[in-house]
Amino acid sequence: MLRLSIRPFGISSALLLGGCTVQGAPSFSLVGAYFPDWMLCGMIGIAVSVGLRVVFVLTGVDALLSLRLFTYLSLGVITALLTWLIWFGP
Amino acid sequence: MKKVSLSTTSPIGLAIAAVCILGAIGLGVYVSRQDSAYPSSDSGSIDAEVVHMASTVGGRLIALPVHVNQAVKKGDLLYRLDPEPYELAVHQAEANLALAAAEVENQKRLLAVKTANAAVAQDQATRAQTNHDLAARTVERLKPLAGHSYIPWQQYDQARVALNDAAISLSQSHQQADAAQIAIGDLKSSLAAQQAAQAMLDQARYALRQTTVVAPTDGYVTSLRVKEGEILAPSQVLFTLIANDAWYASANIREITLPAIAPGDCATVYSMIDRRTPLRGHVESIGWGVASLDSAGLARGLPLVPREMDWVHVAQRFPVHIRLDPADPRLLRLGATATVEIRHGEACH
Repeated sequence: MLRLSIRPFGISSALLLGGCTVQGAPSFSLVGAYFPDWMLCGMIGIAVSVGLRVVFVLTGVDALLSLRLFTYLSLGVITALLTWLIWFGP
Repeated sequence: MKKVSLSTTSPIGLAIAAVCILGAIGLGVYVSRQDSAYPSSDSGSIDAEVVHMASTVGGRLIALPVHVNQAVKKGDLLYRLDPEPYELAVHQAEANLALAAAEVENQKRLLAVKTANAAVAQDQATRAQTNHDLAARTVERLKPLAGHSYIPWQQYDQARVALNDAAISLSQSHQQADAAQIAIGDLKSSLAAQQAAQAMLDQARYALRQTTVVAPTDGYVTSLRVKEGEILAPSQVLFTLIANDAWYASANIREITLPAIAPGDCATVYSMIDRRTPLRGHVESIGWGVASLDSAGLARGLPLVPREMDWVHVAQRFPVHIRLDPADPRLLRLGATATVEIRHGEACH
């Protein structure tokens, strides 16, 4: 049931952002070592959740939230997974 | 400063939190299914077949027209050993063959002589038979005459001795004829010796041909570090030839995602020499076995079972063999790091 509700979202986002697919291998070279794609996605997720926290505090949205830790964590996870799906997903 | 309470329970906040958490879980499940259905590996390597170039014969290296990292075509001369000892061996084998052929001719003449001797012995036997018949008839004729004393008894006695002599001569001549017939023999042994000499010659010629080593396939010369003058033992490897006719990628894929892979599946391979160029390939096979430390042990000994209490077991990986379509040769180097995406990626759209 959950999967059915998620799948259209994933496909539509992939269609919308398909043009943004990066060129090249899902592995990045940094000072002579290769780092996997998911590590980059995780970094982006952390950065986005921290950024959202700052934006929400500044705009006052933060005051509306409860269970903030879980909310920001989930937002970070969603960002990371979506980034992976759009960039490197099948 | 405004105190922020973590225990505020505004319904909007709770709804947003629930949506975010459910969204994260759902997306996580979807991504993990996608990842299992479309396996990938970033620890693959570019692979190719190699030939360890060696000659079956030994000797001094006298010609080495190739140099390290050179590309060669199938049939190109790679190196040549000093052929002189092998030429001498061929000459020796040729002389041996001529000797054996002469021996065959010799045996043929001997055979003719022995055949003639056997014919003579046969004729001798015929003559002995005739003589014996005459002596027998003489005895028959003289017997009644001697009985009536028309001839001296002595004469009859001589005739009987003559018959006895003739019988012995006949027996001897038969034996001689038989012996002469057996002594004729045949050419088998000399013909066999000739065949053996021919085989030795063929072998010597084969060894001579092995002093020239040509490329068995298109490829690249690697790990060549010697020059002309080096002495090589038989079967000693001089360098390694990387075959250039087919390139592969080998990727280790976890066993839990193996069911999603079948031979013939499209694969996108990136050689990390240029991570922007996708190479197209197809799964050729999946490894049937890897050595496992859990089942380590001697073949006939008792199994080696460590005492342990592991609750987490890391998934075993199996090498998946991917044959690459023809690609830019600058990207294909044996052992290069490769990133492999099976059934997806840029080359499989």
